Amino acid sequence: MEQSDKRAYRGDFPVRDKDVQASFKYDVADMVGGEGLLRCLKCGACSGGCPVGSVIDYRPRKVLGNVLLGLRDEVLSSDQIWLCAACFTCEERCVQQVNFTDVVTVLRNMASREGNAAPGYVKMAEMVQANGRVSARTGLVDKMREQLGLPPLQDPDVDQLQGIMKAAGLDDVLAANKKKEVESE
Amino acid sequence: MKKALAWGCLIPARRSLIGYEAATRKVLEHLNIETIDIPNETCCAPFWMQSLDLTTSIAMAARNLAKAEEMGLDLLTPCSGCFHSYKRVNHVLETYPDMREKVDDILKSVGLKYEGTVEARHIVDFLYTDIGADELQRNSTRDLSGIKIGLRYGCHMLKPHELLNIEYSERPTFADELIEQFGINSVQYAGRHRCCGGLLRGVQDDVADRILHERLVDANDAGVDGIVTVCSLCHLQHDMGQRSIKRKFGMEDIDLPVLHFPQILALGFGYSPEELGLDYHTVKTDKLVAKLMGGGRR
Repeated sequence: MEQSDKRAYRGDFPVRDKDVQASFKYDVADMVGGEGLLRCLKCGACSGGCPVGSVIDYRPRKVLGNVLLGLRDEVLSSDQIWLCAACFTCEERCVQQVNFTDVVTVLRNMASREGNAAPGYVKMAEMVQANGRVSARTGLVDKMREQLGLPPLQDPDVDQLQGIMKAAGLDDVLAANKKKEVESE
Repeated sequence: MKKALAWGCLIPARRSLIGYEAATRKVLEHLNIETIDIPNETCCAPFWMQSLDLTTSIAMAARNLAKAEEMGLDLLTPCSGCFHSYKRVNHVLETYPDMREKVDDILKSVGLKYEGTVEARHIVDFLYTDIGADELQRNSTRDLSGIKIGLRYGCHMLKPHELLNIEYSERPTFADELIEQFGINSVQYAGRHRCCGGLLRGVQDDVADRILHERLVDANDAGVDGIVTVCSLCHLQHDMGQRSIKRKFGMEDIDLPVLHFPQILALGFGYSPEELGLDYHTVKTDKLVAKLMGGGRR
């Protein structure tokens, strides 16, 4: 990542009152998996072990700091919450059991409902919705399975899965992202 | 001992991963472990899906657990992503009563019920804890000594250890012990326990490339004959991704074959490389296989 790209996850500083929503951290902490947030000491152990941070200028501590400050819009509309590779190293090492990866999931869920999900994940979800699995079945692999003496690939119960996705509200999340995509075109 | 088997989305449907399934089936059959596939298994909604909506994801994963529960069986999976998802379902349902209520309602709407009684196990942990390295040693018919490999445990079988109830995650040795039974030299090297960037593929491709580049440099510097992966995402990254990393970072001399963990076990049990799908990997495995087979029969 070029140095000029830093702003993308560093945001504008100094922070102004108008950008702060003080209740944001409590909204996050109220969600399943978000409760560890308020225990954060900002010690930086999460950033120290981050594999993404070792290749680009990305710091989980910075993300936590932004959430604790209340920079709601900046956090939910930027790339910073979509750069976590979910390796759980920070979660393993955190002395305060903040569970950064779980906090990121809460933030991503909030962003997704506003139509700001990572387009790659939305595409994968649509794939699952259509096929029941994230990888489509191909004739080539079917043939290779036969050559290896493997049983024919089972068809996933797509109807049941689509029923679950609809009842649980994923359809609404996908629709919100579709709408955003159309608007931006 | 009978277990319900969840294969996941990727392993049975991707060219370079079906060898994982073939080898796993051979290993289980060889050790007389009876399994039955989850009927019409659906996506386990792993971390990337949890990113979009956690409630939906828990309910989606609970679907396969409900099927195992109907059969009265615990669940076994070779996919680390699936393992992580299923462990999370039980944890979330036990910890958050509101979430349990929601998930119960969702499942009910499609005619399912999940009480939360199914224990999910990762196949590598199962082989180590329930079957044991000694049993693998007793079944070993081929000497695989003389090769040096870099074993990658991957993240989602290990971390966070409180959730997954597996050996301390930062410096594990259990999977090394299993393949060392066949004489394999599994080396420790910098970066072997670090993330491969697999979950950023398709979302932040440049970052995924950079992380993978670091991992390939680590393994190459360690002078290994090949890499062995437990996680299917690690395999997709290291095997399929290797070609583009070579081009992008000008590493033309890198040539690291990537095997699936159970393929090593099945080779040690005497199965042939052809039966285990070793021809279907992206990076050619011929040289490593020739070296592996050079040890002869025990």
